[in-house]
Amino acid sequence: MFASEVMDTNFHCLQPENTIAEAVRLFRAASDKEGKKIFGMMVTDNHDRLVGMLSMYDILLFIQPKHVKIWGEMEDLDPGPLFEALLGRVKNIHVEDIMTTDLVTIKLDTHIFVIIEIMIKKHIRRLPIVEKGRVVGVVYRSDVFYYLLRKFKE
Amino acid sequence: MPVVKNRSILTGIQVKEAMRSNVNRLSFDTSIAICIRHMIKFKSNAVLVDDAAGAPCGVVSKTDIMGVYYAGLPIETVLQDVISGPSLYCYPDDNLEDVIDIMQKNGIHRLYVLGADSSEVTGILAYTDIVGLLYRFCRTCSKSLRKTKKADDELPQLKVKEVMTAEITLCNKDDSIRQVVEVLSAQRLGAVLIVDGQREPVGVISKADIVIAYIHGVSIDELAENIMNRPVTSCSSDELLSKAIRQMLLNDIQRIFVHGDDTKHIKGVLSLSDAARFRSGTCRACVASRILEDF
Repeated sequence: MFASEVMDTNFHCLQPENTIAEAVRLFRAASDKEGKKIFGMMVTDNHDRLVGMLSMYDILLFIQPKHVKIWGEMEDLDPGPLFEALLGRVKNIHVEDIMTTDLVTIKLDTHIFVIIEIMIKKHIRRLPIVEKGRVVGVVYRSDVFYYLLRKFKE
Repeated sequence: MPVVKNRSILTGIQVKEAMRSNVNRLSFDTSIAICIRHMIKFKSNAVLVDDAAGAPCGVVSKTDIMGVYYAGLPIETVLQDVISGPSLYCYPDDNLEDVIDIMQKNGIHRLYVLGADSSEVTGILAYTDIVGLLYRFCRTCSKSLRKTKKADDELPQLKVKEVMTAEITLCNKDDSIRQVVEVLSAQRLGAVLIVDGQREPVGVISKADIVIAYIHGVSIDELAENIMNRPVTSCSSDELLSKAIRQMLLNDIQRIFVHGDDTKHIKGVLSLSDAARFRSGTCRACVASRILEDF
């Protein structure tokens, strides 16, 4: 019942200097490769040290225009080109500028109930596992849930 | 004797109709680095700074941060050391017209909106919010282009050239960032046009670009062309004001440069605050129609 049993070791990382457009492309590439939707990625530096996380939420927040109320009334608007234009215009913004740096990490031997506690209390969907300063895996909320489901069946 | 008072489309409209209730706040002991990232992430031009008790004690704007960069202070400096302030406030039931006057007189771009308790900040009002409100009025107006489907020239619509500022400030792409910062702060500008040796426009540097350069550790002695934004967003001086405003609002830009017949020839700039100061919708029918609706 420890983190090592539920963790996913297939994860993708971003670099702090990636632009937001690059991050969007890497999200797409990672989900194509894994065959599932990727909702967040870890950001690591040159020494594989975890420096932040970038979630779908961060990107959505970033691309959301200031005057949303006006957009809501524009039924005649195609968002595609505007999204492209926005990503093109913000090419000087890096992943490190909008990533979340206030991170909670766990260890390989963190008990699964402690993990659940953290996820519930802090509304966290994914927890990186860090050993000796390096990321070794990630625990997803859904994986914890289905792990427990299987346990109950046995 | 009746007092003659000029009426405009904003007459009788209160602050609460245009303000945004999402206020960006940080504690006084936050570092500038975190403050800049917060500004980038939440697209705000200023952050309200709270003291230890959680009451507002000042404001840090992009202009202030530009000053910190210029002064060569480390990015770890805490907000407490750089705040300007206490800022000016308004109330939800103030008239928008009066508030625009306050902003103009004090040369500021935003006012925080206070609630019933003086330490409770309930919202923020910036020039762009006022323009946004005007634009929404226009779109739903019974005389608007969309409803009447008349040709453009049949309606007395304002054009960009009637509202734009014809003076533009230029910097050269070989100028240092330091020189650009000096121009921006001396002339209280939000952005400058960057030109090459042939005086052709090649980019724009806004206060936001300066702040981003600061957090990315770019030396203030680097060349302007290394941090400028390309290409220059511009519209024709004969463009309808409403279309230019729409372009700015949708692209989240504060200003648009105005070109003449030759797109390389920039002859003016239209900012969202110019549009707000103009105190009218984008159509001359506006003022008359509002007066009629009121009576």
